Amino acid sequence: MSLLNTVESAEPKKIAVYVCHCGGNISDIIDVKKVAQTLSQYPQVSIATEYAFMCSSNGQDMVINDITNQGVNRVVIAACSPALHETTFRNALKRAGLNIYLYEHVNIREQASWVHKQDKDGATHKAIALIKAGVEKIIRQDALDEIKIIANQRVAIVGGGIAGMRAALSCARAGLKVSLFEKRSTLGGNLNRESLIYPTNQTAQSVVDQLGSEVKNNPNIDLLLNAKIVSVNGFAGSFQINFIDLDSKEQTIGSGVIILATGFDHYKPYEGEYAYKTSPFIVTLPDFTKILDQSAQPKALLYEGKTIKNIAFIHCVGSRQMDGVDTPLEGKNLNEYCSRVCCTSAIFTINNLKIKYPNTGIFDIYSDMRTYGLEHESLYEKASKNDVLFIRRPLEERPQIEQRPDGTFNVTSTDVLSWNEQIEANVDMVVLVTGMVPSDISDLVDNMKLPRSTDGFLQEVHLKLRPVELANKGIYIAGTSQGPMDVIETLNAANTAGVKAVSLLSLPEILMDPFIAVVDDDKCTGCGLCISECSYDGALTMTDKIVNGKTKKVAQVNGALCVGCGACVAVCQPRAIQVAGWTLDQFEAMVDAIAKE
Amino acid sequence: MTKDSRPKILVITTSHSSYPGANAVGQARLAYDSNTYIIRVPDPVMFPEEFYIKALTNGIAGIIIMSSGSDCPYEGAYPRLAARIQSTYTKMKALNMNINRLKITTICTVCTESFLKEIANMEKVVAA
Repeated sequence: MSLLNTVESAEPKKIAVYVCHCGGNISDIIDVKKVAQTLSQYPQVSIATEYAFMCSSNGQDMVINDITNQGVNRVVIAACSPALHETTFRNALKRAGLNIYLYEHVNIREQASWVHKQDKDGATHKAIALIKAGVEKIIRQDALDEIKIIANQRVAIVGGGIAGMRAALSCARAGLKVSLFEKRSTLGGNLNRESLIYPTNQTAQSVVDQLGSEVKNNPNIDLLLNAKIVSVNGFAGSFQINFIDLDSKEQTIGSGVIILATGFDHYKPYEGEYAYKTSPFIVTLPDFTKILDQSAQPKALLYEGKTIKNIAFIHCVGSRQMDGVDTPLEGKNLNEYCSRVCCTSAIFTINNLKIKYPNTGIFDIYSDMRTYGLEHESLYEKASKNDVLFIRRPLEERPQIEQRPDGTFNVTSTDVLSWNEQIEANVDMVVLVTGMVPSDISDLVDNMKLPRSTDGFLQEVHLKLRPVELANKGIYIAGTSQGPMDVIETLNAANTAGVKAVSLLSLPEILMDPFIAVVDDDKCTGCGLCISECSYDGALTMTDKIVNGKTKKVAQVNGALCVGCGACVAVCQPRAIQVAGWTLDQFEAMVDAIAKE
Repeated sequence: MTKDSRPKILVITTSHSSYPGANAVGQARLAYDSNTYIIRVPDPVMFPEEFYIKALTNGIAGIIIMSSGSDCPYEGAYPRLAARIQSTYTKMKALNMNINRLKITTICTVCTESFLKEIANMEKVVAA
């Protein structure tokens, strides 16, 4: 395994600065000629020029030509956000034979010209200061090598629900070996307990059976049922998953990538929440779908010996909870998030109820109807046409449920749709439309140091830039372990995780950005403060090294485990430990350049 | 070009969260004063107390740390950052510095209104 190499170059630093017009997006506001002229006078800047579109092939060729023919060995490009074209220019440097990390991208569009349209002089001044800061950073930048890790060509997938099965098939069809871990004795997870699924009206069991059959018949997939994960060690390319198998024996399997498809739990109201558990006729939506599924009575729903003529559905039970209004479950936080899928699920169930028992009276009490999705709005329209009485309550008010002596319930709610009139519905049954909550994977979270959102679900790095990726390298999330999703969304997310795994393992070596901690052994005093600041087990350790002919204790970084957060940097007085490419010296020089301008 | 005499505000953003948030402000063509300078870091937890004090001593009038808050993808980084800022405040007080010149906040990728509000608040602090 090759880890980080920083390469200090002895040759003089020759910096080129390129200022992009971005058509007129930048140059209509910022005086790009003045910026280039000013930068051309800045120490160590050899070339400073401006061009209409730096991202065009002509713009890139200009950079390549200056590197090849003018001896430029550091590049600063002032243009749009690096999110758009950092990779473009890194590839240009690679084509010119220059280390891709000897380039700094300065954003003078989204964070200058577009936000200072009324202040052209100010925007120009700011652009100059930011580019000077970029020059100061690149002056202090060493060539870096991407981290290369020989990757185990196996994917470990935790969770044998539909997300885990879908991800497993994506990986296996691409030729990767897969170990699929499921703690239960059967595949399918939560979907085993559902009946019909929207919008296709398939039975949940048919989806589980189809995926399960494909998984069992795929020679690339090793299915491990009744397998309980004990611990996970290692890093991207080389994880070790320790688990207890069917025969209660502890085993270890290696993998290059891990996909977490650990699913969700249904929210379970506490006793008394919306009168839950005070009567068998107060049920949750998952319970009700089973009751409906199992009912064989021809004309009306029969439950616990009672004919159910009228039903109230109450949305947002355990979702969109509010401080001062709702009480959290013991030891838990309020669930402030919208569980997204329960509105559609409730409406879908109501429509099925209306098909089976058309004379049932339905009161649907909601706050906001979120039947998002291409075909889901039509479910709502269908329910409206089916004489479902919709009652829209204010978000901060909760419907009141009172049981009458005859066993029925009076459900009272304010209705925004009828100018805040108080509506009282007399019903035989109340269905609490509960949402999804994170499944209890706290052992795994603690062991693997997995990031979780405030809602408790696993937290991807970025919705658009790095979907389904965790900050932990080589670990992806699939399906409802990430948040509430319906079946189609779950399968799509699982496919994405599978594709990411395949992409990462497409070559025998994994290439990683080298922005991780590096230690200067000369400066390290062996105090160990950095280790106590590090949250990632094994990323930083102390070791004995021979430095300048003497054995001394120094910090040592495991490049595959370090995530480059920099927590260690702040506590290192002698600045022996830094994040490569983002050093404290670089930032101080940048801030000085801005302050001076 | 002459030196900008206006008080300078340094905005420290995170690569994963508030830097895209600052981009979103630009994409929405919203506006704020040009005396604000945005830098991006993997996570501001890497800066020691002295980094802020040095910047505030050497010409930066106000610093806004736009962290990812409890949604930070780095395990344990946000509590450490919050603790470090508290100890920076202690040091600033000992140096008779106005602690309002250093603000820690949470900005996500789409928090455009909050982004502008934080800058407007800091403008008031540095103008005082």
